[in-house]
Amino acid sequence: MTMAQMPVRPTEPAPPVPAAHRRGRAVRRRRREDLAGYVFLSPWLLGLLGITAIPMLLSLYLSFTDYSPLIPVTEANWIGLENYRRMFTADPQYWHAVRVTATFALIAVPLKLAAALGVALLLNKAMRGIAAFRGLFYLPSLLGGSVAVAIVWRSMFNGDGAVNSFLSLFGIEGKAWVNDPTWALPTLMLLAIWQFGAPMVIFLAGLKQVPIELYEAASVDGASAWRRFVHITLPMLSPVIFFNLVLETIHGFQGFTSAFVLSNGTGGPVDSTLMYTLRLYNAGFVELNMGYASAMAWVFLVVIGTITVLLFSTGRFWVHYSDSEAK
Amino acid sequence: MNPITRSATPDQPTPAPHRTRRRLLAAALALPLILGAAACGDDSSEGGSSDKVELSIFWWGADKRAELTDKALALYTTKHPNVTFKKTWQANQGYFDKLATLTAGGNAPDVFQIDDNFIAEYAQRGVTLDLTSYASSGKLDVSKFPKSLKEYGEVDGKLAGVAMGENTQGLVYDKTLLDKFKLPAPTTGMSWEDFVAWAANVSKVSKVPGTQDPSAVYQALWVYLRQNGKDLYKDNKLAFDEADIAKWFTLWKNARAAGATPTPDVIHEGNDSSVAKQLVVTGKAGTSWVWVNQMPELKKNTKSELGVIAYPGDPSAQWARASMYFSVFKGSPKKDAAVDVVNFLANDPEAGKILGTDRGLPPNLDVRKQVSESVTDPSMKQTIQVQDELGTKFGPTSPSVPPKGHSKVKSELIRIAEEVTYGRSTPEAGATAFVTAAKAAIGQS
Repeated sequence: MTMAQMPVRPTEPAPPVPAAHRRGRAVRRRRREDLAGYVFLSPWLLGLLGITAIPMLLSLYLSFTDYSPLIPVTEANWIGLENYRRMFTADPQYWHAVRVTATFALIAVPLKLAAALGVALLLNKAMRGIAAFRGLFYLPSLLGGSVAVAIVWRSMFNGDGAVNSFLSLFGIEGKAWVNDPTWALPTLMLLAIWQFGAPMVIFLAGLKQVPIELYEAASVDGASAWRRFVHITLPMLSPVIFFNLVLETIHGFQGFTSAFVLSNGTGGPVDSTLMYTLRLYNAGFVELNMGYASAMAWVFLVVIGTITVLLFSTGRFWVHYSDSEAK
Repeated sequence: MNPITRSATPDQPTPAPHRTRRRLLAAALALPLILGAAACGDDSSEGGSSDKVELSIFWWGADKRAELTDKALALYTTKHPNVTFKKTWQANQGYFDKLATLTAGGNAPDVFQIDDNFIAEYAQRGVTLDLTSYASSGKLDVSKFPKSLKEYGEVDGKLAGVAMGENTQGLVYDKTLLDKFKLPAPTTGMSWEDFVAWAANVSKVSKVPGTQDPSAVYQALWVYLRQNGKDLYKDNKLAFDEADIAKWFTLWKNARAAGATPTPDVIHEGNDSSVAKQLVVTGKAGTSWVWVNQMPELKKNTKSELGVIAYPGDPSAQWARASMYFSVFKGSPKKDAAVDVVNFLANDPEAGKILGTDRGLPPNLDVRKQVSESVTDPSMKQTIQVQDELGTKFGPTSPSVPPKGHSKVKSELIRIAEEVTYGRSTPEAGATAFVTAAKAAIGQS
């Protein structure tokens, strides 16, 4: 309905209402400009409504129903807060997925940022062929969350994979890492950390912005490389660190593709890689409890939103914006 | 749109603003109605045999199945030039996700393959067309089917799917490996304990683990339960208790301790793999727990010669299961044509010859006889021979279609059996966990 009304609004003044006469042509011209505005906006607006807003609101409604994808939406029964009750009190797998996801994010995100920053520092030196190195280090991220790279990862960390062949050179007998409940999640984390290219490029850009005079002045005062890093680089880079932290945290919580591929969609072995999104997907598309999956999605949205707000509120204490002080 | 808006505002020379708004509202309301009506328009095209009909058909399987199904459908088109097909197929993994998504969007295929994991759910949700009336009017012929096979397609008294193949449990072993070490082959009817001892000996002699650990394999558990006078389900309720499961888990805990099975990570790999990557095929175990109709697919992926027998214990606990069905989408605008195609695939002798035993033994007994006489593919021959032989041993009762939630029961069995395998849980704790989880999955209070 909302969509159907939208393009219609600007045509409202069309009927000859007395009020419209009085306001005259200026009004009409403004309305025409309004119309042009809406027309130009419409591709985005239609996308927002059709692809994001309406489905999201629908999923909020569905989270209070027993909707299954096999029935028409209109036939879903309203069951109130039952999905939420079941999620919080009667589904041990739900809490297990929460634990797996939190563990993943808490470990993989800081390590990924550290790796990104470390490599960015190394690549911030002036030397021959540095551009090629930058490209090479960014490459894993181009492959990104792709299915192909996860499949390669899976075979590398399998019982007879490349990793074990390498380890056997040193006389170490490896195991099928992805098939072991203790090692499957770390393997998944390693894949996430390895794809540090995106934050690295942002760090690199941030490093270029740090005024060289600051380092020169510090060197003259006899500051060691470590002190320059702690007292100049980190504070000057803190807005970029903050940006990467927020982005990667959200990203970390949403990890799906690699977990799906590595575990053949099951989250196994014994649910050790059952990320929240994977549990959600299975609840909706395998067990066909789409209402329940919708409820999971909304709790997830609220939790990620809360975490982001918390990050922003801590930002005041450690993020340093140089231009706000300069003015 | 016009007729509606006109009737909403009869001849008013200068409509007031709110009237205009109402007119627009009416138009906005009418739009989806009109679009809806257009979408329903196809309904009328049913009937006339000379009308061009394109049927969408969707199945899972390997390349071989696609090739055979393509041929059989092409034959149908030769006989009915007005009917063409929009064919889609993919691997088993992800098939049902896709089917559910298509159904949610109202775009379910006219004809789709389904199995006993989901048929109850799809039937109860009203996705599958009830074929009962087609069967009684003769438009769909199931009279040549074994009775149990026809009934395995019924959910709540409605014929929800037409069996496209019959299979039964098969324990497949690597004959080449056994011969190499002069080890005896396992035999149908040996007890579970004897089988474990046999496997432990294979491990010791050949250094290849004797058998995949089947504690997570639901159809093995199912046979074991039936041999003990229980069942997986009865009247849509669980038909076993914790003690049965604890016994099952303990059997395999002892087998692992005796060295009869691979290590837990390899066991998981076997549980997690497609047919083509079963441990007996990849050489990581001497036997795997499969369905007899999967023999050609297994054989294709290994150089070893394979043998197949019944699961251990009394073979009369096994039964002829519909390996998969074709169902017709209830919302299909071309139901009659779709049913006719399903009827053709199930009963036409030529189509039966083309399809062979890829989906299981042909459901129509006459066709099955012809196929078994003319088949040339050695592994298909083996499938037919073994299943015929086992068929003579089946008991009088076969299970009915598993209830809604069966696929979740299966995945919970894998999860919990593996917790026991990895030593993270005891057989007893695992049994309690499984019964609780299985009850929740099928909605039993």
